[in-house]
Amino acid sequence: MKRLKSVLLALAALAAASTSSLADVTVLGWPGGPEEAGLRKAAEAYNGTAAADDKVKLIFFNREGFWDKLQADLAAGSTEFDINLLATYAIGKYAPFMEPITLPASAKDVFGEKTLTTMQYDGKQYGVPTDLSMHFMYYRKDLIEKLLTDKDWQAKYAEISEKYLGKKLTPVDPDKWTWDDWAATALFFTKAVNPESPVRYGTVLQMKNLLFNMMVFGSLPRSYGANWTDASGNVTVDSPAYRTALELYKKLYDAGATPKDSLSYEFAETNAALGSGQAATALQWNAAAADLNDATKSPAIAGKIEAVAPPAGPDGRFTHIHGLGFGLNKASTHKDSALKFLDWLATADAMEIYAKAGGSPAVSDAITAKLPERPDLAKLGAFANAYGFVMNGATSANALSVYEAQAKAFTGYWAGTLTLDAALAQAQADMTKLLK
Amino acid sequence: MEIADRRIPYLLVTPLTAFLLALLAVPLAIDLVYSVSRVTFETLRAPRLIGLGNFVAVIQDAGFWQALWFSLKFAVAASVAQLVLGLFLAVFLAPLLKKVPWLMALLMLPMMLAPALVGLMYRLVLHEFVGVVPYYLYLYTGDSPAFLDAANAFRTLVTIEVLQWTPFALLILYSAYAGISDDVREAAAIDGAGALKILRHIDLPLMLPTIVITFFFRFIDSFRVFDNVYVLTGSGAGGSTTTISIFIYEAFFRRNDIGFAVAASLIFLALSFLVLIGLLRLGRRHA
Amino acid sequence: MRQNPLMMFLRIVVFAIAVFVLNFPLIATLLTSFKSDAEISANPALWIDQPTLANYAGILAIRDRFDIFHYLGNSVFAAGVGAVLATLLAFPAAYAIVRHEVGERWLLPMVTNLRAIPLIIFSIPIYLVYQQLHLLDTKIGLALILCLVNLPLVLALIVNGIRSLPIEVEEAARVDGANTFAILTRIVLPMALPAIASSLILAFIYSWNEFLFGLILTTQNAVPMTVGASFFFSASGGGVQWGIASAVMIISTLPPLLISLVAYRYIGRSLAAGAVKG
Repeated sequence: MKRLKSVLLALAALAAASTSSLADVTVLGWPGGPEEAGLRKAAEAYNGTAAADDKVKLIFFNREGFWDKLQADLAAGSTEFDINLLATYAIGKYAPFMEPITLPASAKDVFGEKTLTTMQYDGKQYGVPTDLSMHFMYYRKDLIEKLLTDKDWQAKYAEISEKYLGKKLTPVDPDKWTWDDWAATALFFTKAVNPESPVRYGTVLQMKNLLFNMMVFGSLPRSYGANWTDASGNVTVDSPAYRTALELYKKLYDAGATPKDSLSYEFAETNAALGSGQAATALQWNAAAADLNDATKSPAIAGKIEAVAPPAGPDGRFTHIHGLGFGLNKASTHKDSALKFLDWLATADAMEIYAKAGGSPAVSDAITAKLPERPDLAKLGAFANAYGFVMNGATSANALSVYEAQAKAFTGYWAGTLTLDAALAQAQADMTKLLK
Repeated sequence: MEIADRRIPYLLVTPLTAFLLALLAVPLAIDLVYSVSRVTFETLRAPRLIGLGNFVAVIQDAGFWQALWFSLKFAVAASVAQLVLGLFLAVFLAPLLKKVPWLMALLMLPMMLAPALVGLMYRLVLHEFVGVVPYYLYLYTGDSPAFLDAANAFRTLVTIEVLQWTPFALLILYSAYAGISDDVREAAAIDGAGALKILRHIDLPLMLPTIVITFFFRFIDSFRVFDNVYVLTGSGAGGSTTTISIFIYEAFFRRNDIGFAVAASLIFLALSFLVLIGLLRLGRRHA
Repeated sequence: MRQNPLMMFLRIVVFAIAVFVLNFPLIATLLTSFKSDAEISANPALWIDQPTLANYAGILAIRDRFDIFHYLGNSVFAAGVGAVLATLLAFPAAYAIVRHEVGERWLLPMVTNLRAIPLIIFSIPIYLVYQQLHLLDTKIGLALILCLVNLPLVLALIVNGIRSLPIEVEEAARVDGANTFAILTRIVLPMALPAIASSLILAFIYSWNEFLFGLILTTQNAVPMTVGASFFFSASGGGVQWGIASAVMIISTLPPLLISLVAYRYIGRSLAAGAVKG
């Protein structure tokens, strides 16, 4: 009898323990890299002060297939997590399974209006924007400096630009580049075009049939005035702007200005090509900056890489932006506690901790001023405000599918299996179906 | 006793049948409903019946047939190469493997890398600047091709598949080869038959059922290849490396058209069933 | 049989070439796992300037956050149970199919053909069923699916193995009064051991490599190695830490390698025995 009692007591204790752990808030994040580091530090700091029932614990999904797994879980009403990662381009897709939130008024001062909108859909706030992604034009300082001073190089540069781009150009500072200046520079630093080039390729284009590559590419047509739809919602991909941009990529690819296997390149391949010291420029995600200038990771080029906003087109200078953030699972069984954490995450203190640990939030100057070790954050905020854009429809339920339809059509043109007309017609038809 | 005996074979297949029913009956029923419904992730529990529309849509979808054609080419090229290579190695290396059986483990190693991770590793191995293959090609020939562009992607992907799964054919074929009694061969040798003649008239006919099974599994597995292709080229430039599995995966998760994806799978299943019945007949006739 | 020494030498050469070519990706991975990040970006060759264990140390250093032994353990359990269960189910059924022609016309082709289905279409229905049965994120739930995935292969291989056995031995035993169970365990099982062992190994390897169901059906408790792998090597913005990725891959090949080595000793032995007996 006594034994039975103690067993029952132990069971009761176990049950109590498991219910109290059930009361924890579970946050689903992205493993690896600074996003995870930032989230861990933030959660640690929060748990230091939070009440027992409000403490957060973290889980992670595989990055490969993350969004598909998340979709399955959310659609099936999983209660395994209360708060989950969210991205601007997927917000429309997941919104039906998520709960809109109201952030404290102070959030506006922390992030600014434009950054908050990266977590909005249909006029409602769905998440706290913890990271901002955009593109930088990376270039080799040493090579460009020589180009800007060496008379022989400049003569060759003029010759090449006339031959390939139809106009005689003189080298200019990368921060003042138009896309033509960039193209001329890329061609100049290409061995196949200019045997004197100290590096094998002038640039690295990410041309794999992958939706994220369409985000990188998008800044180019945008600066020629492109958009997914016009104000009344008609798809406008079959436009002179997209035509010009697609042709420029194709020209550089055909001229050998980008690695041969560029049709299979994405983030990692691009970094490896730049890191090997055999490429002069690349349009690449801001997240690459740290690795490229880290001597233990890229000894060949560390200290020689500079990053500016993407070049200008007739309509100005643009960079794609999207946010990553955290929002509330509609099926969550701990909504009150979860909201407490999200509210805290939207404070200046939380973002300071998050950024210190490596995260990349776009936050107000008042906060970046406290983070002298992260000069890139000031750049991030400034670029986002000056050049950031989101295409019309890029937060809609089918945004991911639109990127995918573009990737399929555009890579077909670059690979030579589709004509430009056919590729644009295909993209136009697919996008019209997806954005109606 | 008589009656009990007649029941025994049925008892023997019962656990397997029960397992299949328990695990598969409900999911299969759900899938059958999905295949005749308009269903997305938002309506998983409330699919709207639409009849055979999904099947019609699949049959009319040019992308489906392209993916099927790509997978067919891929599977034929890869499985024939695996079978021939595996058969050669199994027979040629048999005396060596008989002497030192654990050497087989070295030949089986390639299978032990998960295909998803293999695809990832090839992104490094084939990279023009940091990959070992282009490095040696540049060193010895002064040039290196684009392994994954529109012209070469197919060959590269087939090679990767063959390198990883030839060991499968090798293992099964070697087991069959080594299982043939030496007495039979020696009797033939005494009758004056040469090694090639023994192979052709004794070994190969005896191995035929195993050869058919090996071919079937390598063919089917290559046909539905997903992980390594998906990681390496995705659906390829302009969709040029869309396998049937990638096509269905994208319809399922990306186009959010679950009924369509299930219908496509069922059509594919019906086609492969015909192939299987044919192969089983062939295997049985020769057995 | 007589062995010509020259032929044996030739076989050894062919064996060495086959091992090198087939294992080329693995060799490249192994070498990469001992290179530092800096060396990976500068030296793609098949030699190492400054060997380092940093990648392996890096994996172990974060055991408090991502425990590689946890993922390995999950995979060993799920793949092991899945492979053994598939064999236990398939062996008696295979015997009935071959010797009594029960299920030859429907069960065998149906099960074999399961292999041809793109498994993705089962992911959501099985998710929904598992959710009701509380099997989501459990090792046993994953094991059941891996068993299902490998049944076609296991059944076909064992059917094939039993079909090639001489029926005379069984008939003699039956005349001696042995019942079906005794024949199955004492006569058929030992003779079919090579087929059973190789199907076990292959089922284990295939289960070990499975990715999709591991991704969809687990979240934390039952995450298998293929899914957990990316926790270690993914970097910001879609980057990959190649050195750590290589080390993770090398570690994750060890359990199937060990199991195959052990199992292969049995195959080798019973193959030798079988050839003499038959």
